[in-house]
Amino acid sequence: MEGIANYLDSLIGGVDLTFYSITIGGLLWGLLVLRPWHEEALYNSALLSKTVNLIHFGSKALVITQLSKIGLKIWLMAVTLGKSPFPAFFQTVQFQAGLARATCAFILAVFIRQALKSNPRSKQFWVLSTAIIVPLVISAAWLVHGASRLEDRGLLMTLTVTHQIAAATWVGGIFQILTLWGLKKRNAIAVEVWPLLLKRFSAVGIGSVVILLVTGTPLAWYYIRTFQGFIGAGYGNLLLVKIIMLGLALGFAWLNRQAVNAYFTSRSLYALTARVPYYIEAETLILLTILFTAASLASQPPAVDIPHLTASFEEVLNMFHPRVPRWESPTHEALIAGEAGRVAIVGQIPSEAATAWSDYNHNISGIFLATMSFFAMLSFSNRFHRWARFWPVGFMALGVFLFFRSDAESWPLGPIGFWESTFNNGEILQHRIATLLVFVLGLIEVRARLNNNSGFMPYMFPLLAAFGGMMLLAHSHVGFEAKTAFLIQVGHTMMGVFSLILACGRWLELKLDSPGKNVAGFISVFALFQIGVILMFYREPLY
Amino acid sequence: MNFFKPALLALALVASNSAFGHAVVTHNSLKLKPVPVNLASDVELSFNSKVELDLSEVFLVSAGDKMQTITATPGEKPGQVLLHLPALEPGEYAIKLKIFAADGHLSEDLLRFFVKQAK
Repeated sequence: MEGIANYLDSLIGGVDLTFYSITIGGLLWGLLVLRPWHEEALYNSALLSKTVNLIHFGSKALVITQLSKIGLKIWLMAVTLGKSPFPAFFQTVQFQAGLARATCAFILAVFIRQALKSNPRSKQFWVLSTAIIVPLVISAAWLVHGASRLEDRGLLMTLTVTHQIAAATWVGGIFQILTLWGLKKRNAIAVEVWPLLLKRFSAVGIGSVVILLVTGTPLAWYYIRTFQGFIGAGYGNLLLVKIIMLGLALGFAWLNRQAVNAYFTSRSLYALTARVPYYIEAETLILLTILFTAASLASQPPAVDIPHLTASFEEVLNMFHPRVPRWESPTHEALIAGEAGRVAIVGQIPSEAATAWSDYNHNISGIFLATMSFFAMLSFSNRFHRWARFWPVGFMALGVFLFFRSDAESWPLGPIGFWESTFNNGEILQHRIATLLVFVLGLIEVRARLNNNSGFMPYMFPLLAAFGGMMLLAHSHVGFEAKTAFLIQVGHTMMGVFSLILACGRWLELKLDSPGKNVAGFISVFALFQIGVILMFYREPLY
Repeated sequence: MNFFKPALLALALVASNSAFGHAVVTHNSLKLKPVPVNLASDVELSFNSKVELDLSEVFLVSAGDKMQTITATPGEKPGQVLLHLPALEPGEYAIKLKIFAADGHLSEDLLRFFVKQAK
């Protein structure tokens, strides 16, 4: 069970950051954007109760998540160390600060339920609720990795917590805007509320981004220091991914701001209702991915600590170098024969068969995806549309291929049982989930196209693609060769970014009108092609 | 919000872990002070962060990947750990670490070394 415990332990970090953002960002939304004590006539009870309910939900979920984090940590230590972590665990900062944070979140949830829910127009209660988050934030400071550093702890903890609050303000605000849009769609709020709050949030959002950059830059400098650390280590690579995704999110934020400004000039609601909500939905996908990437980043050793284990710029570039894809796979017997030496700790012998096996898997997957993107492009033409639109059937075929090829040492090809390999090895567990995801992705999308994209089913494709991207961003190859693991990771993280672009593009293709619809669709297919190209040229370092 | 309920649910099915946690060995005495043959010795490790030794495990791995637990005690400086090795015959060995860092990450690390007769 070590694999699944490890997997869940790392996953919960992103879930925790999401609920933290809904809570903190929601309160700051009320205090800085909504300001319900000023707008007596404009806001109705539906809007106020929805706003407070979302914050209350976030605070309750935060309590559960924080307690789950502690529980998972105990479980992980028990299965990894093979003994009870008690009583030593009670003495750790993790336990004490974690319990303090859960307690603060619980007090906040109770206060919101007892006071703010029944008095949502009370400035005093909004201020008090926001004041309660101060101890919550302070206790959280002891859980960030700056707290474990040997130098400059105070500075690092302060910068990290401020960075988290800025991120929470943006993400939590976006969740509130989505709630607001739900009301707007049902005409449950006054017409002028939607543009007014979008305009106000725009200023808060800019402030958040400025704080993110002001706190993030020194943190990046402290943990990375060199260009090679930025390019050639997992920590720097994930930070680069965060920066790319921040750029994407800012692009959508800019489009929203332009639409809001245009409204206040022309008073036309068209862009604000036909485009902005969908840009915000895409922005949300990106922001959630950033949160999960941030959680994944926390499990990486800072590049500054491992200068001897960082890859050079040339080595990283070589991972993307065009080359002839591997068409032939080594035999399963050759692969299994080399496994004992490859996984040995003492007397390790790198396995060329294992490397070739993995290259073949990746390269053939790349050919699958590149071919699918070709048919996806054809589907834009009226001449080929009728049959080419079923290009997602390729995902189902790819899922079957991966099922047999991903983990050759385990069932169905190898001697290790299906359940044993799945739950005891984090890497195999990820491969199994990814394989299932790919197959289901194809199945759902083919069914959606058979039903002429009616109902919610078509939207499952971009959602699953986004989650697949998140998996790729956090994909890890378990082992003790940090540099090799990073070189494997770097291609996966770039594919993760393109998966997210694919997801956002497809989402907007389904939601927008022309010409935005066509542009988004093309970007989506282009991203699929890019993933195919990365996979086609993939070469694993020998290890 | 219809879009977010399945989205949040699905979030709970993805994202994953890294094999390398936050606590890593930044310096070790193995290169500067080779392990002597047939003599008990200490190995000094320096970590990049505080570690919880009570919740960590250190193994000596010998030929055939045989593992034996070895004792680890705090060093003089923060982040420093002393490993107490038994007397070892010439050959290839490794130190396998399962370290619980103060930031809550459980990380694994591996240090390979040789025990050689002095020439």
